[in-house]
Amino acid sequence: MTVSLTRPPTGQPWRPAPGAVIEAAALTLRYGFSVIALDQLTVAIQPGVTGLVGANGAGKSTLIKILLGLLEPTSGHAAVLGLDCVTSGLQIRTLTGYMPEHDCLPPDMSATELVTHLGRMSGLPATAARERAADSLRHVGLYEERYRLIGTYSTGMKQRVKLAQALVGDPRLLLLDEPTNGLDPAGRTAMLELIARIGTEFGISMMVASHLLGEIEQICDHLVAIDGGRLLRADTISSVTRASEVLLVEVDEGGELLLAELARRGLSPVAFERGLLVQLAGDETYDVIRDAVADLGLPLSRMERRRHRIEELFRTDPALAGETIGASSVS
Amino acid sequence: MSADAQAAALPGPAESGGVIHNIGYRRYDAQRLGRAQIVRALTWHSFRSAFGIGRGAKAKIFPVLLFGLMCLPAAVNAVKMATSPAGGPLITYDDYVPSLRTVAMLIFVAVAAPNLVSSDIRNHTLPLYFARPIHRIDYPAAKLAAFFLACLAMIEIPLLLLYIGNAAQVHGVHQVWLQTLQLGPGLLYGAAWAALLASIGLLLASTTGKRVFAICAVGIPLFFSWVLANALMHIGNQAFGPAAVGQPSALASLAGLISPFTLLGGVLHWLRAAPTPGAPLRALQATTIGPYGEVYGIVFVLALAAAIGLLIARYRRVGVA
Repeated sequence: MTVSLTRPPTGQPWRPAPGAVIEAAALTLRYGFSVIALDQLTVAIQPGVTGLVGANGAGKSTLIKILLGLLEPTSGHAAVLGLDCVTSGLQIRTLTGYMPEHDCLPPDMSATELVTHLGRMSGLPATAARERAADSLRHVGLYEERYRLIGTYSTGMKQRVKLAQALVGDPRLLLLDEPTNGLDPAGRTAMLELIARIGTEFGISMMVASHLLGEIEQICDHLVAIDGGRLLRADTISSVTRASEVLLVEVDEGGELLLAELARRGLSPVAFERGLLVQLAGDETYDVIRDAVADLGLPLSRMERRRHRIEELFRTDPALAGETIGASSVS
Repeated sequence: MSADAQAAALPGPAESGGVIHNIGYRRYDAQRLGRAQIVRALTWHSFRSAFGIGRGAKAKIFPVLLFGLMCLPAAVNAVKMATSPAGGPLITYDDYVPSLRTVAMLIFVAVAAPNLVSSDIRNHTLPLYFARPIHRIDYPAAKLAAFFLACLAMIEIPLLLLYIGNAAQVHGVHQVWLQTLQLGPGLLYGAAWAALLASIGLLLASTTGKRVFAICAVGIPLFFSWVLANALMHIGNQAFGPAAVGQPSALASLAGLISPFTLLGGVLHWLRAAPTPGAPLRALQATTIGPYGEVYGIVFVLALAAAIGLLIARYRRVGVA
């Protein structure tokens, strides 16, 4: 990410960096005077599966619309696959598949009909559209059901149809907006596995937008976190997760005692909500905590690896979160 | 949930180990169609949906019924020409049977226009279109072209049948040529009908996603403006003396501008520049225009431009996702 924050002098066209599938340079979008959807966002995304995390309203969907060339930024630049989003929208949309966040399927059509039609809309000739519609529906795991009306589908099947229509035009890049929206835990797992498979085995780069970091980190190589339209972090997933591996320990009583005891034993616990957060150094950390709790005779009610939440990435004040973010930005 | 779990368990390449139907991911490297061809495909798709093709049998009832109704006068005329050709054709090419055309097209536009636009609004399908290699304007343009062609088919296929029925019975190349000369303006006038009704119908239908509401949004304004225009024309003629005395009153002459159907009737009278003496025979269907013929021409062009402009503007501000 060595893109300069200053705009090039006028007359000299902006050139996207080679190699990046998505690039934004000082990208800003304002609605009116007060609402800022994106604020000086500068990031370069490499091929592979990238997670785009941020709370609702952080600017994820806005970024996707700009990347598709459907919204023009107030200032700054964006490029997809080396093509300028403002001037090459048609070309970008030929090479990009988009899965919207919300429900967008007509209930009175069969999945085959819909995906074939949308394949034609992606520029496929009639025969190719039929073949590729059957292929992509099979890839997302819809077989005989694909002749049924979409109105009779479960939420999970509808999400699969949305993914299939993004895939039908043989995109070089997929933009998935909250692909696990509305799914139950089993459905989420299945959808994530499917996305991971498309990324690794089909070799299609993708950006997956989600407000659930714990979910997205399972399938991504890279992570981009935005908040309030600003870039918070852009890093490989391993550095993000390594830095935030913590244990949450809760005891029914004697929390202060345990805090002191753990500190005495060389850990650096931090009080968090009703429990303690302890940096996880390795398996021996579990043993230290177990021994400390046993020696003090405290009723241990909970000990778990924390699911990373986006708020953790965003927190800057508590000592632990501050440390981990500082540490990872060095790495 | 079970469907998800099931689907997740379906063989993927990783676990397949020689499953025959696993073909892996295939790339598409052949020619892709350009924007113009995509728009043409969308137009064809929408044209079919205007007649309920590709949907259930229920969706075809009204279009088929109305089309049959529109063809009926041409069939009757053909029978008449075959049995007693003396006295010439029953029906003229330009206004065909205006009352039938008005009623049939009113119902057709109200029933078919929602098929083209409101289902995409209701189901939020528009983002899927706009994320594809077309421009914003292409979607309403394709829908408009499709509905124009659908209305054109409803109006002009009966005209062609009428022409065939007449041409088969007249004698001599010259007579056939005379029929052809009359058909030409009829087709042009039919195109004016199709253009105005298609653009107004789609604009009204695109205001709402609910199908029933959309049918009402199209049908009610079209019907009541037509009734109102005719009532005012009637009042104008009654209150200020019949048209036969001289020029019809201003009220009677301008009332026709209110409704697309009477507007089209007025345009025909203006272009024919004939009907002043004795006033039209079918007073309720035909429009009295008095000396305001040019006004009808101008209002027609303005109404058409406004409807198309508003339709495009309506899709310009549709949000994506």
